[in-house]
Amino acid sequence: MVTPMNCPLETRETAELLLDYCRRRLSPERAAMLENHMQTCTACRGFAERQRAVWEALDGWEAAPVSADFDRRLYRRIEGETSWLERLSGRLRPLLAYRGVPVAAAACLVIAAGLLMERSATPVPTAAVAQKVNVEVQPEQVEKALDAMDLISEFNDKVRPEKPQAKL
Amino acid sequence: MAALDFDAELMLRVREGDGASFGVLLDKHRSSVVHFLFRMVQNRAVAEELAQEVFLRVYRSRATYEPTAKFTTWLFRIATHLALNALRDGRHDRSQERLDDDSGDLPARQVSDGRPNVEHALLNEARLEEIRRAIAALPEKQRAAVLMHKYEEMEYSQIAKVLNCSESAVKSLLFRAYETLRARLAHLA
Ligand SMILES: [Zn+2]
Repeated sequence: MVTPMNCPLETRETAELLLDYCRRRLSPERAAMLENHMQTCTACRGFAERQRAVWEALDGWEAAPVSADFDRRLYRRIEGETSWLERLSGRLRPLLAYRGVPVAAAACLVIAAGLLMERSATPVPTAAVAQKVNVEVQPEQVEKALDAMDLISEFNDKVRPEKPQAKL
Repeated sequence: MAALDFDAELMLRVREGDGASFGVLLDKHRSSVVHFLFRMVQNRAVAEELAQEVFLRVYRSRATYEPTAKFTTWLFRIATHLALNALRDGRHDRSQERLDDDSGDLPARQVSDGRPNVEHALLNEARLEEIRRAIAALPEKQRAAVLMHKYEEMEYSQIAKVLNCSESAVKSLLFRAYETLRARLAHLA
């Protein structure tokens, strides 16, 4: 004997039951309860039929295979980024060896300041700074990297309170 | 303590300098990321460009990666962020243009004996067009929620983390989105 249930369409909170039913995510017991209810509830029956139809229609929308050169293009971009970072660290290495970290940090600040100045549409000092350290740094690359870092740290901040950090 | 998902373990290996693990992650998630983005922006070239950016950001952030959530939650959060930005920039908004390019969809299926059936193909194309338009007409967040719910088979809680909202907000987004889709697409059955 299946336990009777209230109509799930009566509240937004329980309407998800019908979505889950059409997605075949309900336990057999809950599915049986809902099917029992649908025998007498035309609203739920109609909802389920139309939701199933949508589900099947969406099944028919297949996406094309990914381009064959997707990975090659990606790795080329990765290599490009890696090489400018290596060039940058290569330039800074003698400074580190000679004067230590504070000098390298100061050099980083000079580069960062140069980039900021370039972004604020004063190209002349930036060009001078870039020439001084003799490295090609694309502001767009730095901006993208910072953007990614922002997104990641924002994401980490958001999820951290919900779940303690997993350890290896 | 919850065990790390395998993808997160791979990402930690990438953090330690193991490039092969990045290849494994790329192999595993390339299609789902590209397909999600394709269904979001409905343009194949833009979707692939955005997907490149997604994996590039994953790679760039390897040094600071922390397995604080499921890897796919993080991955789709980046993908959704980029897709929403692209749509807002108007780089590609298919709902505003004629939906007449192939956009990388598979050709309409042929009948099982292999002979092309023009009528069947046209009918199928018309159906697909209706589906694409209905999805494109959904507000962006509803669209993202439906695509993750339907094609990525994500749970409400994971979609909530990707979209940075509560689980009840996700349920509400999905409920409204499917309500619209039922009105527009249920006759296709
Ligand atoms: Zn009912």
